[in-house]
Amino acid sequence: MNSGIEIPLNSRKVSQRSHLGIFIILSILTLLFFMLDLFLGSVNIKPYEVIDVLFNNGSGNVETIILNFRLPKALTAMAAGIALSISGLQMQTVFRNPMAGPYVLGLSSGASLGVAFVIMGFSAGITPENMKLTGNFAIAAAAWAGAGAVMVLIMFISSRVKDIMTVLIIGIMLSSGISAIVSIMQYFSNESVLKAYIIWTMGSLGNLTTSQLNVLLVSILTGLVISVFSVKMLNALLLGENYAKSIGLNVRFSRFIIIAGTSLLAGTITAFCGPIGFIGIAVPHLARIIFKTSDHKILIPGSILIGVVVMLASDIISQMPWSDNVLPINSITALIGIPVVIWVIVRNRRYAEIF
Amino acid sequence: MVKKSNEILSVNALKIGYLSGKRSITILHSLKASACEGELVAVIGRNGTGKSTLLRTIAGLQPKLDGTVMICGKPLHEYSRLGLSKEVGYISTETVRVSNMKVYDLAALGRFPHTNWLGRIDEHNHRSVLDALAKAGMSDFKERLISELSDGERQRAMISMVLAQDAAVMVMDEPTAFLDVGSKFEILHLLHELTRQRNKTIIFSTHDLTAALNQADKIWLIIGDKLIEGAPEDIMLSGAFNNLFDKNFVSFNQSDGSFFVKNEIKGIITVEGTGINKFWAKKALHRIGYKVTDSGTCNAIVRTPDKAGSDWIYKTGESESEFRSIYELARWIIQNEPLTACNIFCDSQ
Repeated sequence: MNSGIEIPLNSRKVSQRSHLGIFIILSILTLLFFMLDLFLGSVNIKPYEVIDVLFNNGSGNVETIILNFRLPKALTAMAAGIALSISGLQMQTVFRNPMAGPYVLGLSSGASLGVAFVIMGFSAGITPENMKLTGNFAIAAAAWAGAGAVMVLIMFISSRVKDIMTVLIIGIMLSSGISAIVSIMQYFSNESVLKAYIIWTMGSLGNLTTSQLNVLLVSILTGLVISVFSVKMLNALLLGENYAKSIGLNVRFSRFIIIAGTSLLAGTITAFCGPIGFIGIAVPHLARIIFKTSDHKILIPGSILIGVVVMLASDIISQMPWSDNVLPINSITALIGIPVVIWVIVRNRRYAEIF
Repeated sequence: MVKKSNEILSVNALKIGYLSGKRSITILHSLKASACEGELVAVIGRNGTGKSTLLRTIAGLQPKLDGTVMICGKPLHEYSRLGLSKEVGYISTETVRVSNMKVYDLAALGRFPHTNWLGRIDEHNHRSVLDALAKAGMSDFKERLISELSDGERQRAMISMVLAQDAAVMVMDEPTAFLDVGSKFEILHLLHELTRQRNKTIIFSTHDLTAALNQADKIWLIIGDKLIEGAPEDIMLSGAFNNLFDKNFVSFNQSDGSFFVKNEIKGIITVEGTGINKFWAKKALHRIGYKVTDSGTCNAIVRTPDKAGSDWIYKTGESESEFRSIYELARWIIQNEPLTACNIFCDSQ
């Protein structure tokens, strides 16, 4: 009897140890990519100069570039990676759907409606050039308000509707409806306004001022705390609504909490960085495959680290080291995310069959 | 009389069904039933009579339309979700399909009401999970992924989850549905043991009447729009089982509790012989549609082998045929159908 109990204890320890190993590797990668993100850019700065600025006081141009541009951008990239990955994971579990992501309930279209109102509706004179001066915070606030409005609507619906699939369908319908309104606004807009809007939809990690970054980080931290508290609920929700209830989960309450957390995380990122696609769908799948578990105690920190690494890598690629051009971040995440999703589906057929 | 204090679950004037919008669809009403601590209760009824709805209502997964459900002396609706999960566990034939989930993880989720806010499985919880896995016969499978299990194994994994939950009342909707005959009896044996050794109350629905009659302490029989409760034997004596199935097709033997499909009677055959050979020969003749008598009044006679290695003999009047097996005998009778004359002859007796 004794030996019968010791063996499983050991096997639990083995899987915990292998998880720990992966966490260490991912942490090292995070640090590495974070440093690389600071080192590489359009202006050629030597690594020792970067370190000098970070730990001592550098001087002049180098300090400005690192502290005002590259560091906030790298921090924003990390925040975006964390927020989008967790919210994607949460939505996939809540909806028990492998193709769900942070934007499945229409958050991004809500945000884009807010932005469209600011750019195309009220200030017809805004151009991409003067947008930065006048409308940056206004755009973030409008996006946040739009995402928030959709969130409140979805929360209201999900508290009234019993079936979670109905919530999903309503979310998709809502988001299509809002996109239709935005399309009408685009149709009646002039070229420069249209371009300003299109540029917003492509996403950007580098437009944040220090005060905006503070708002962003506080919001993400709050969302993170909520997601840690939702770990147990998420695990129960894996069983489906009936069993989740029967083992003692208040399903509606937990859905409410999780959707609120997701909205805060994804809504904030969308407000400040634009709708960044694919990370939210692809990273949770990567985490499941790498950690080979369904336990959110592992998947949440795992998705956080993988999301950070992927986002930093995307940022490094998008700023095209040693060149003056910057590619839209949304295209890079899609180009990284799409092969991942395809690889997941082709490589792991069993995984693709049963979420 | 059963002492009232033992009663852990009671249902009174219960009306069950579905709410859709403002309309409610009643499936069953005025239900009255109870179960005592440590009892194994089998819920029996035809498909679509409301067994699952009743079980889901008792487990608190579906609102009742009217009446009361008392669990441990407290009305169901006064329980919080978490509080109820400590008293009532539930599993059905609905399976959990999640990739990368191990059997151990599934069983560990049964500990949900007993773990901390993060759902941490500590030493005590771990032992409960292992114990539940062992009880459900899944110890060797605990590192397997649930997506790689057979239906029967997955059902056992679900049972290990509800065992780990360790509730006083366990509600199981067809726990033996996907299992082979052997596993069916093992699970029923397990349920029986849980009621005896751990004093659990188990309410389970099943279509396996023979097993339910043998193992259950109490039967809740749903016929038409009524629920009849009692010991299997009480219900047997009351003759209520006769109404369970369409009398034209299935008949019920009140003296030994067996059911058989009614076939069209083609004739009567006398079986001569003894012991199990005679028993199975009668079964075979029943199956192919003949009534069987013991006395030799028919001119059609089947004689069973009197010693090992000898043949089955079929005799009508002067002709006599020999067969190596019951199968050959039965095939021959079906193909030749020689019994019209006998039919007339025997009907007169």
